[in-house]
Amino acid sequence: MVEVKLTVNDQEEAVFVDARDSLSDLLREKLQLTGMHVGCDHGACGACTVHLDGTPVRSCIVLAARCDGSKVRTIEGTRNDAMMDIVRRHFHEKHALQCGFCTPGMLMMSIDIISRYGVPSENQVRSELSGQICRCTGYMGIVAAIQAAAREINGNGDN
Amino acid sequence: MLRKEDRRHLAGASTFVADLRLPRMRDIAFVRSPAAHGCIVSIEKPTGRENSVFTLEDLQPLNPISGGPEIATFRNATYPPLADEKVLFVGQTIAMCIGTNRASAEDLAADVIVEIDELAAVVDAIDALTDEAPLLHEDWPDNSFIDATITEGDIAAVRDAPVKIRRQLKMNRQATNPLETRGVVAYQDHRLDELVVYSSTQGPHVMRHGLALALGLPEHKIRVVAPDVGGGFGGKNRLMPEEIAVAALAMKVDHPVRWIEDRNEHLVASIQAREHHYDLTLYSTAEGRVLGIEGSVHVDAGAFALWPSGPFMETGMAARNLPGSYTIEHLHIRTHTVATNKAPIGPYRGVARPGACFAIERMIDELADELGCCPVEIRRRNLVQPTMMPYRTAGGLRLDNGDYPKALAHALEMIDLPKLRERQRKGEPDGRKLGVGFAVYTEQSGHGTLEWVKRKSRVVPGFESATIRMLPDGTINLLVGIQSHGQGLETSLSQIAAQELGVDPSSILVRHGDTGLSPQGFGTFASRSIVFSGGAVAKASRALATKIKAIGAQLLQVPAADVTLRDGAVQSSSGQIPIADIARAANIRPELLPAGTAPGLEATETYEPPESGGVFSYGVHAVTLLSHPVTGVTEIIDYVIVEDCGTLINPMIVDGQIIGGVAQGIGTALYEELPYDENGQPTATTYGDYMIPCAPEIPNFRIKHMVTPAESTEFGVKGMGEGGAIAPPAAIANALNDAHRDCKAKFLVTPMTPRRVSDTVADALARENAE
Amino acid sequence: MKPALFDYVRPESLEETLKALSASDEATVIAGGQSLLPMLNLRIASAETLVDISRLRELKTLSETETTLSIGALVTHAAIEDGLGRDAFNGLLQKIASKIAYRAVRNMGTIGGSLSLCDPSADWPVCLLALGASVAIASLEGERCLPMEDFLVDAYTTALEQGELLVRIDIPKQGDCAWGVSKVNRKSGAFADSLAIAILGTDRQPARVALGGTASCAQLLAATSALLGQHPDIGADALSSAIATDVAAAHEEATPYQMRCHIHTVTCAIAEARSWSR
Repeated sequence: MVEVKLTVNDQEEAVFVDARDSLSDLLREKLQLTGMHVGCDHGACGACTVHLDGTPVRSCIVLAARCDGSKVRTIEGTRNDAMMDIVRRHFHEKHALQCGFCTPGMLMMSIDIISRYGVPSENQVRSELSGQICRCTGYMGIVAAIQAAAREINGNGDN
Repeated sequence: MLRKEDRRHLAGASTFVADLRLPRMRDIAFVRSPAAHGCIVSIEKPTGRENSVFTLEDLQPLNPISGGPEIATFRNATYPPLADEKVLFVGQTIAMCIGTNRASAEDLAADVIVEIDELAAVVDAIDALTDEAPLLHEDWPDNSFIDATITEGDIAAVRDAPVKIRRQLKMNRQATNPLETRGVVAYQDHRLDELVVYSSTQGPHVMRHGLALALGLPEHKIRVVAPDVGGGFGGKNRLMPEEIAVAALAMKVDHPVRWIEDRNEHLVASIQAREHHYDLTLYSTAEGRVLGIEGSVHVDAGAFALWPSGPFMETGMAARNLPGSYTIEHLHIRTHTVATNKAPIGPYRGVARPGACFAIERMIDELADELGCCPVEIRRRNLVQPTMMPYRTAGGLRLDNGDYPKALAHALEMIDLPKLRERQRKGEPDGRKLGVGFAVYTEQSGHGTLEWVKRKSRVVPGFESATIRMLPDGTINLLVGIQSHGQGLETSLSQIAAQELGVDPSSILVRHGDTGLSPQGFGTFASRSIVFSGGAVAKASRALATKIKAIGAQLLQVPAADVTLRDGAVQSSSGQIPIADIARAANIRPELLPAGTAPGLEATETYEPPESGGVFSYGVHAVTLLSHPVTGVTEIIDYVIVEDCGTLINPMIVDGQIIGGVAQGIGTALYEELPYDENGQPTATTYGDYMIPCAPEIPNFRIKHMVTPAESTEFGVKGMGEGGAIAPPAAIANALNDAHRDCKAKFLVTPMTPRRVSDTVADALARENAE
Repeated sequence: MKPALFDYVRPESLEETLKALSASDEATVIAGGQSLLPMLNLRIASAETLVDISRLRELKTLSETETTLSIGALVTHAAIEDGLGRDAFNGLLQKIASKIAYRAVRNMGTIGGSLSLCDPSADWPVCLLALGASVAIASLEGERCLPMEDFLVDAYTTALEQGELLVRIDIPKQGDCAWGVSKVNRKSGAFADSLAIAILGTDRQPARVALGGTASCAQLLAATSALLGQHPDIGADALSSAIATDVAAAHEEATPYQMRCHIHTVTCAIAEARSWSR
């Protein structure tokens, strides 16, 4: 067993994990943070996306042991986040989710896209969502929601 | 109205099977067959860990349950929860291992030694029927589950038609790929004396029935709960061996057990779909009036028949849908449902129709090519006209209403074909080829008892039920037998009840997916829920409304006929009473009820649509794409959908279903494929090899609705959950055909991957050079 | 889909790392893990001991001299995508980085990890081969440098020996270089079926064209590069026979489709590079 001390959603945690445990195992099985989901367990679907030290990662292909000393943010840590609330509202209004399984990963990716691009173009959003699988919506609502949220958050930049 | 379901998902607060946490829960990993075909010689459990490894023998007593239609000539191929004598495909379950977590369960599974005497594998549905093919099921005379002929009219009468076109087409095998894989958590609840099975399923009641049969338990001692379910698309609508095995194991051990399918298991051993081979001859007049279609359909059904329905429906529906939306009078199709050493096929969005639509719509374009005629014009000449409705197709389907030619006309207006033709003539600066393709489809939905009886279904999903219960404060629990897994039925059904009762939808809580709560139902599949469950909810709501109005009218001292329900109150010209007051009286203050009124406000109703053959949504897809003749890469630059699904209850949800369906259809058309090598080894076992389209691959869509209300259903609704997935392979193949018409490249196989497109074009160019 | 058991060490220094690597035949380096962990999860790869080098700060930096750009092995694809080293090579590195897999993967994946794995379809080996880069390899015995041609040996095979760690990539600066990139893949973010990168010659370095997506490691297309070097304005027809020869040698048992793709990507990459310089 390896002891991992990390900050999850602003809370300090100390967890014993197996060396082979992934960050998704740590979050879901040790800390019971089941908000994000595991869709493929080999880094290809994006459902398990969380933020590690401020950037989105696929938690199923990050070793938990490596995260010692890191800051992790999951969907649960965004429940009172004003920016995420805007994104959430646009997801709701644009029918950007159906079954909801990919949604937490999509949201974590969305705020990263908005942070990096300000007001991204449709092509930029689509390209950035490459590798985030949504099997239900056909992506149209998701793309529209991210663009609308970005405009609301960052103004109507002509980027 | 926006969806009620969204809040929990957006907060990351939903509960899927894998999110359940139960004390002392243990994880399961399966030992699966590495061989496509073979006899099990021995299964050796690791020393010292025997008690954590279970074979079929250890799970006894179990009853074998047979899937497939109740037809004498349908050969039985019972799918055992764990293989004990023979393995028939790579990935078949052989043993199950318990671990403290999934990783340790997998460690144990890796240490179980299974000796298998390998046999030659059967991997091609056509070769499978030759005399040389090894037999999967030794008591069968050949590898066919069933052969049948679908015939209508007199095909012999049109065989000397002036135009004959013969083509072989294939729609390859796919996995259903909901983003949430399957999963089961099972345990014994001693307090309630029941076996609780949480399962990611589309139909908990039907699964309970199947589990009861398999486990030999009385049905009241099984509770099946489908919590949040992360997509199904058909892939969670059969009782699978893992579900039976995990439930059986829960009865043997004293702790909850959990199996969460991983993506690799999903791609090799979950419900697989499609894999149709068509060999068709189309007969037409010189003017392009299609007279008849003749030929064969082979469906590569995999090794076993899934409970309850088996694979025959796939073949029958493929054949019966071949005439499509056309006035083709003569049909003669030999069908073969073939067993091969692959995972069993089951339903996937569109069931059979994406293949049939691909086949007929490609044939129609081939006819246009043959006659040097515009594909749109050929369709105009053959489409069923609105004046002919209801129209019985040569496949025996009763198209109820709609205006198919008008849908085609709308699609044409939306794309501006002359402008596209001009662009096509000029050519693209980067050497790509522009193509425009059309496909017309119909979608049978909401079909009832007679239709399922005709298909000889073991379970006849001929009705749905709903229980509506008003609580003392006037809020409502609505319990339904369908299961919503993305379709937004918690929203749509509450809208229907709200409308009937004159209350706000926010005062209604829809409960579904739990056999312990809901009245008998069949689940959500076959584009049936809005028709069936919507109907049942409307009926139950009306029954409740009748009682509320009767009470209200008495209290208002007016005749019942003079009151209405609106804005949360019983309204009459002389005054109003809040529904909440009536709810209070009926539930906890019976002395306030008019004399002679029974207390309680609850109604249960079942609904079966009067038209058992179903109602048909339909539509036209028009796709514009750019195809690279060398790399074979396809880019869709415009996608237009004209669609008629009758009355729209929630237009936002309807559009969501359409777009999601089309995205999956694009997957079928261009990306998704489960190939097997000659030894029966699957070669797309991860998302590195199995391509699911993402946002860059899927275009924006332009949708136009036509609204022809169904005559037989409540509110005139038609089901529409599958239609989106039906037409894209056909429309995209036709667009590729259009793009490469110069070189006569023929696109007859899905998915049209870069490699396939490039090879097809190269072959066509080589042919042209040779000529 | 969980990995088999392995031991895990996370050294804090390069020296500690090199000791760990030399101590065992069975030590596997994990950097970003974005290729290794999926393979471990699928149990198609296994490891006795994982040596996690993610704490080696000295491998996360970029440095420059007059003639050379040096990239630490642990620099992530995302860091390069976001502009690290943007000014060198007219943005080529940024362009390559931005098309590797997906952003969440790029945030973890490293340039050194990609080179060390040597996947036939990976982007960095092709790019760095075309740029004439070399790698610095550390071991307890010291550091050695290898040109990319010698470092890349075959599919999933490099010249790294037991106890060695790739620590740095040195790329000779080329002034105002013109480049072209062409990639064919089945969908966005998927590994390339074919990837070609062409860099036209400057006064400092002759033209170089490299190809990925073969059955082997990234390949330098010698005849094509030489022809472009000798005759910068050579016509497309003359080039095409050199390309065909090179591609056939680079991917011996290529299917007709692979051949078509390779010829296409090489042709397009060269055309793009030429359009740049005009």
